[in-house]
Amino acid sequence: MQFDARIRSTHHYASSPVDDPVLTVTDAAKSFGDVSALAGADLTLERGEWIGLLGPNGAGKTTLVRSVAGRVRLDAGSITLLGEPLNQATNSRSHLGLVPQEIALYPELTAEENLRAWGALSGVAKAELGERVDWALEWSGLAERVGKRVKTFSGGMQRRLNVACGILHRPEVVLLDEPTVGVDPQSRERIWGMLEALRRDGASLLLTTHQLDEADRVCDRIVILDHGKVIAEGTSAALKERTAGAGASLQDVFIHLTGRELRE
Amino acid sequence: MSATLLRVAWIHLKRDRVALALCFVLPVVFFSIFAAIFSGGGEGGARSIVVLLADEDDTPTSRRFAETLDDMGALRLSRGPAASESNPDPAPWKRESAHRAVRSGKAPVAVVLPEGFESTFGDFGGDRPAVDLLFDGANPVARATVDGLLQGAAMQAAPDLLIRRGLDQLDRFGGGLTDAQKRALDIFLPVVRGERSPSSVTGDPRDDEAENSGFGGLVPVRATEVGAEEDGRSMVAYYAASISVMFLLFSMVGAAGSILEEKERGTLERLLASRVSPGRILGANWIFYALLGVAQLSVMFAWGAAVFGLDLSSPQRLAGVAVMTVATSAAAAGFGLLMATHCTSRNQLQGVSTVLILVMSAVGGSMVPRFVMPPFMDQAALFTFNGWALDGYLKVLWYDDPSATLGASLVTIGPEVAVLAGLTLAFLGLARRAARRWDAA
Ligand SMILES: Nc1ncnc2c1ncn2[C@@H]1O[C@H](COP(=O)(O)OP(=O)(O)O)[C@@H](O)[C@H]1O
Ligand SMILES: [Mg+2]
Repeated sequence: MQFDARIRSTHHYASSPVDDPVLTVTDAAKSFGDVSALAGADLTLERGEWIGLLGPNGAGKTTLVRSVAGRVRLDAGSITLLGEPLNQATNSRSHLGLVPQEIALYPELTAEENLRAWGALSGVAKAELGERVDWALEWSGLAERVGKRVKTFSGGMQRRLNVACGILHRPEVVLLDEPTVGVDPQSRERIWGMLEALRRDGASLLLTTHQLDEADRVCDRIVILDHGKVIAEGTSAALKERTAGAGASLQDVFIHLTGRELRE
Repeated sequence: MSATLLRVAWIHLKRDRVALALCFVLPVVFFSIFAAIFSGGGEGGARSIVVLLADEDDTPTSRRFAETLDDMGALRLSRGPAASESNPDPAPWKRESAHRAVRSGKAPVAVVLPEGFESTFGDFGGDRPAVDLLFDGANPVARATVDGLLQGAAMQAAPDLLIRRGLDQLDRFGGGLTDAQKRALDIFLPVVRGERSPSSVTGDPRDDEAENSGFGGLVPVRATEVGAEEDGRSMVAYYAASISVMFLLFSMVGAAGSILEEKERGTLERLLASRVSPGRILGANWIFYALLGVAQLSVMFAWGAAVFGLDLSSPQRLAGVAVMTVATSAAAAGFGLLMATHCTSRNQLQGVSTVLILVMSAVGGSMVPRFVMPPFMDQAALFTFNGWALDGYLKVLWYDDPSATLGASLVTIGPEVAVLAGLTLAFLGLARRAARRWDAA
């Protein structure tokens, strides 16, 4: 933990100019057996930018996120994270925040204990941990439930904590895989509030979601993935204009581009 | 309605191979193991009990008695320690050396034929010196068997004495035998003894001194449990060890199941994505389970000492138990990890390890003491975790030498500790290999 704190305080990545992208995925390909999950996907995330990664089920969104998190080895292509090729960026964990698609928490632990555990594992220094946990409890709206075990939480509370555990170490790049599934509008607002707080610190964010209106509202740029390839990208307004015409919604764009056929 | 419910239940069972195996395979496996133990079947045959014989009388009758005992087949008679490099020509067993050997577990029973055995053989009552049966309390079967065989041997060893005694009585109370009859007897009795063939019945019969004493009753036997009084040994030690080892395995597998929960919950994936290496995850879990195991065993032994009089007062025993507890827990924790990393669900883990642990416990002596097993089963125990752990515990709790130094008593469990350490490494190595599935896909 000491080690990570030192690396952070020396601004390890300051060598990369501020206007370089924080994340570059080039021609990423990955197959699981004979299923091709990624087939030459390209993606660039600028510093401070929020990207909404959309696509039907099975398009390869999770595979792309997991490969940036170092959990999927690409068959071909490369990933550069904060100016370093991914496989060498061994200390990227303190700069990268991952919020997984499933609720990955310890149900027998309280919210505070979960936050402490995941914070420490993500490299938050001991001295800082208490303050970060308080921050996360405050922003996730779980402050009044600190002492309660997570298994007694509602789905929305668990989702909020799931997000909080992935970001309390103040990562520069945040990967969120469907962070708002099955969550009521109030909880959703809380989650966006938490992320906005990070955005003010300059965090960049890659978000996969099926809530197209949400992506439309919060993201700077939309990337649509299908069959493992990026089939369209741009600001929401540009995409609407280019594909479905004036007055269209992102839903129209999505259907227009990916068709009506059912996927996985 | 019921038909639908039955069909759903059947489909579930059919698709759960572990449940199916537990339902049909486990009973058959168990039946076979216990059948093999108690029928003494299979190659290797029934087990013969090693009996140390100390012949303090050293007379023709005592020697004949010993030979008869040897010929009975159920026993393997040992007249002295096996020759070794340091002692190429060992002295025959004496009362003390035989006692020590039984105490240290080299044999379950020693028989001491006392001085005066011959001269009082067959007498009724009086103060006949008793044959001493020194037995290991851990093996009541051997004791009972040998006790019975001693009586049988007395009958078989000296049929001539029996006849002589009967005729003596006839002589005394029935009007007497003629001199010719008596001469014929002198020739005939050695034939009964098997010393000479009927065709060679000429010349003087060699007299047995015993023939005048007559043969009466069975040999008086005084059975003594070795170590029971002097060293405060009690069977609690045996059961404490065998039960603890079996339950340790169950609780280690139960604890290691948390790894599968981590997997199902996604926290394992999250840990790995946080750059916590599989080796570190396994290592931390192993340390935790091993400490848990040490705590569990310590509670068991403390309870045995407090409530059931398990004697842990000597520093040798305490140190020995401590070393065995650490070695056993380390290996059992490794076993838990091995099982958890090779199973894909908690159900599977529970099922598969229940079968494995019960089989290892049965074969390794946690359920039925190994001394009742036929030799091939006893050997199979050496392939089980329980066999080694139990042997080590019994060495320090049961077969320990109270006069040995601390160092010397720890050296005796060297082989068991070494094997358990080897098993620990093997289990952890295999668990790590299975955890390659956790590496980036
Ligand atoms: N670990 C894996 N093993 C086998 N197939 C996988 C694995 N992960 C993803 N896939 C397959 O790859 C394709 C893309 O999956 P995923 O990236 O999860 O899609 P999305 O998140 O866009 O719904 C799917 O067909 C999926 O079944
Ligand atoms: Mg997905």
